[in-house]
Amino acid sequence: MNLMLIAMILALLIPIYEAWQDEDIWQKMLAFASAATKTSVMILVVSVLRDDWMIGVVGVIILSVGNAGLMLLAHLIKRMSEQ
Amino acid sequence: MNDSYVYIIVALLPLVAFMLMLQANPYNALVIRGILGAVAALVYAVLGAADVALTEALVGTMLAITLYAVAVRSSLVIRLGVLKDDWLEAESDPDAAPVDRPSLTQLITHFRTIARRYHLRLELIPYPDLQSLNQGLTEKEVHVTCSPRSPQPEHNSKTDEEKSPSYYTVTRIRRLYDILQTELSSPTICLTYVAPPDTGEKH
Repeated sequence: MNLMLIAMILALLIPIYEAWQDEDIWQKMLAFASAATKTSVMILVVSVLRDDWMIGVVGVIILSVGNAGLMLLAHLIKRMSEQ
Repeated sequence: MNDSYVYIIVALLPLVAFMLMLQANPYNALVIRGILGAVAALVYAVLGAADVALTEALVGTMLAITLYAVAVRSSLVIRLGVLKDDWLEAESDPDAAPVDRPSLTQLITHFRTIARRYHLRLELIPYPDLQSLNQGLTEKEVHVTCSPRSPQPEHNSKTDEEKSPSYYTVTRIRRLYDILQTELSSPTICLTYVAPPDTGEKH
């Protein structure tokens, strides 16, 4: 199972690299969405590995609320680029 | 707790923090800040601090990013005051400007390019006449004004109309004057710096 988590960490490096290299703000937002979802799924996997329900509940809340923050930021950037 | 993946996950945090430091554009930095918050929440959860991870995700990522986005959006802006008739004319028919002087649309495009280079936003504020335009500048409603006629009456009595610039750009901010002086190369634009009147306020 450790190998699976290490593979997930390697997959997490892909959007981080993309966010660093791409200058387009929307590509960065996509990379942010990808990284936010990946980290919360990793938290869920760790909670299952350790059989720890406390971490599992936090993972679920981060998975749902992190996307709301992303949407707020996307709205602000969209209104800015319309002007 | 002695799993090998913990070390790799913890190593991600300084990596993303270093990426955040290298960003020049404030909006890009905000997005990287979101990734930093997500990675930090992951690190805290893996290390066993579920409550800290939840706070980081809710406050650190969502609230801080939204507040910073509002702050950056309202502060990094150049407010450019223009005359209403001029603006309507430029908006309705951009090609109708005379050949010997550039239209306001071209000037605004030029300003936008400069603003984008410095990660600023250009906001146009129309004024009905020249007097209220100048009043807007002195009352600090706008940062830069742009008018086809001179704000000082003695400039109008110039004899050589051929050489006089067709647009007078007046700014009250020293830093904006320095930027525009280096970037504006067009001879048809006259750039003037007006020191703000001393109101006795100490900042």
